[in-house]
Amino acid sequence: MATTLTARPSSPAPAPRSTRPHRFGSPLRKSQRVAGYLFVLPTFALFVGFVLWPIVYTAYLSLTAWGGFGAPRFVGFENYRRMLGDPVARRAMIVTLVYTAVTTVVLTFLGLFIAVLVNSVWKHVGVVVRTILFIPGIVSFVVSGVLWKLIYDPNIGTLNQILGGIGLDSLQHPWLADQKTVLPAIIVVSIWGGLGFNMLIFFAGIQGIDPSLYEAAEVDGANKSQQFWNVTVPSLRVVTGLVVSLGLLNGFKAFDIIFVMTGGGPNHGSEVLGTYLYSLAFGSTSGSIPQLGYASAFSVVTMVLCTIAVIVQLWLTRRADR
Amino acid sequence: MTTTETIRTATPTEPVGHKPFRFPLGKSFATFVLLPFCVLMAFPFVWMLLTSMREANTIFGGTFFPRKFTFAGYSTAWTSIQFPLHFWNSVWITSVTVIGVLVFATLSGYAFAKLDFPFRNTLFVLLLLTLMMPSTALIIPLYLQLKAFGLLDTQVGLLILYISGSAPFAMFLMRAFFQTLPDELIEAARVDGGSEFTIFRRVILPLTRPGIATVVIFQFLQTWNEFLIANTVLRNTDSLPLQPVLFSLMGQYSTDWPALTAGLTLSVIPVVVVYVRMQRQFVAGMMLGAVKS
Repeated sequence: MATTLTARPSSPAPAPRSTRPHRFGSPLRKSQRVAGYLFVLPTFALFVGFVLWPIVYTAYLSLTAWGGFGAPRFVGFENYRRMLGDPVARRAMIVTLVYTAVTTVVLTFLGLFIAVLVNSVWKHVGVVVRTILFIPGIVSFVVSGVLWKLIYDPNIGTLNQILGGIGLDSLQHPWLADQKTVLPAIIVVSIWGGLGFNMLIFFAGIQGIDPSLYEAAEVDGANKSQQFWNVTVPSLRVVTGLVVSLGLLNGFKAFDIIFVMTGGGPNHGSEVLGTYLYSLAFGSTSGSIPQLGYASAFSVVTMVLCTIAVIVQLWLTRRADR
Repeated sequence: MTTTETIRTATPTEPVGHKPFRFPLGKSFATFVLLPFCVLMAFPFVWMLLTSMREANTIFGGTFFPRKFTFAGYSTAWTSIQFPLHFWNSVWITSVTVIGVLVFATLSGYAFAKLDFPFRNTLFVLLLLTLMMPSTALIIPLYLQLKAFGLLDTQVGLLILYISGSAPFAMFLMRAFFQTLPDELIEAARVDGGSEFTIFRRVILPLTRPGIATVVIFQFLQTWNEFLIANTVLRNTDSLPLQPVLFSLMGQYSTDWPALTAGLTLSVIPVVVVYVRMQRQFVAGMMLGAVKS
């Protein structure tokens, strides 16, 4: 980076920011240039050392076999080939995609629905509702994970006790210990935690819509539902793009909530890319050699997925600009 | 609450003019749907509070509302897991991270918003492209890097990872705030002969207090709740912040639910206090992040 950062005084000045002609001579411009670099330098140095370099290094490690000692052995795309034949990897990929798709879709529609309701009630009711709905989103995934693990507990968990109490004993279930119910059970917790944030973003989006659009629609004789589909929904395109891409990002990088509640189990039933790479690298079973190269390949896959999520958002926003 | 309410009154939902009284059917219906939903959403927390004040032997088969309240769970959580020590670790790790991120993010955010220097856009795009890289994907190289620097199992190492990981996003937020300030302000200060740093500190920073408050709250929540990195790079029990400790509690106190839920409740208190007291800045910050990105 050193070459980029040495500002040569003779280097051509960049195009002026505005159409206004610069009224200042070179001493001021130069001090601005120096200050600019000095102000940016600390952040950029940390960024290069602890974000950019790790990205490059993971990409390199994903092409090696390495147990953590000695030098990594270069193996080309062997790790990626191994991934294709690994049933757990395939399982983790499917679970990640299902988890991401379901949480994103539900959080988007439910978030919009609740935001519309909150926008239509009396002011004070809306404030109370917003405050309550947002609280699950501000506690950590460890807290919500532990809390829900207790609620789902097969023997003395509240959910099963309630089901028993209202005579639905037949529905009692070891929610987190059954491969069929573990993923839906975790998805419920993720939606519980993420709904408040999405609702609030949509709510702000609705509040930001120009009231004259509704007045015009009313003059044209549009009823409430027509106003919703023809004014509210189109105006929320950018906001929706944000909600969708955040949903995708949060899904692709999912780790904490699953690690806390099930650790990826039972029998890989809730294994996602994050939990699998973590157990490969940092070993949930002691004594096994860490597989840092293979685990890094999953890091690369995660990064690619997250980049796709960002591109989706840019694409949705771009379309809205037209 | 004032800003949200002024925005609220600007919406056209209130009837205008003299209409005959009509029963507010829509509002009542919406309230009718929302209130049970809120109860459902709040239920886990209510349950957490009630369980934390139960007697340990009434967990199985006791009534939903405990007949007798006790704080035995809290005293167990407080003493037997050294709660004050870990609470303090969380407080100071979070404080240093917030301050560090704030210093880095205001300086670079201002430079990217208002200063002209070669390669400005290139550097910015580079920072932007990697803004969304999750720690899940970077945890392996970060761990190896701390190991190479001999910073594994130290709070200093954890702080470096926290600050470097969060500074770019905070920079992005701060840049959006700085962009709302008029250029003329800075140019006038330059004519008056202030150095760039003096202008930044004396003229610009005081004007960005709302932005700073937003970054502080956002960063506080994120750092306080962080689990993955802390759980991976710290092994020495005494240096752990709260989240990894709460996680390990689950195994240790798997049957003592009052103590377990008491620990959870205690860990949540600072977050809820900050949220309730500074809700306005928090919401404003999220909106800004949402609109600008």
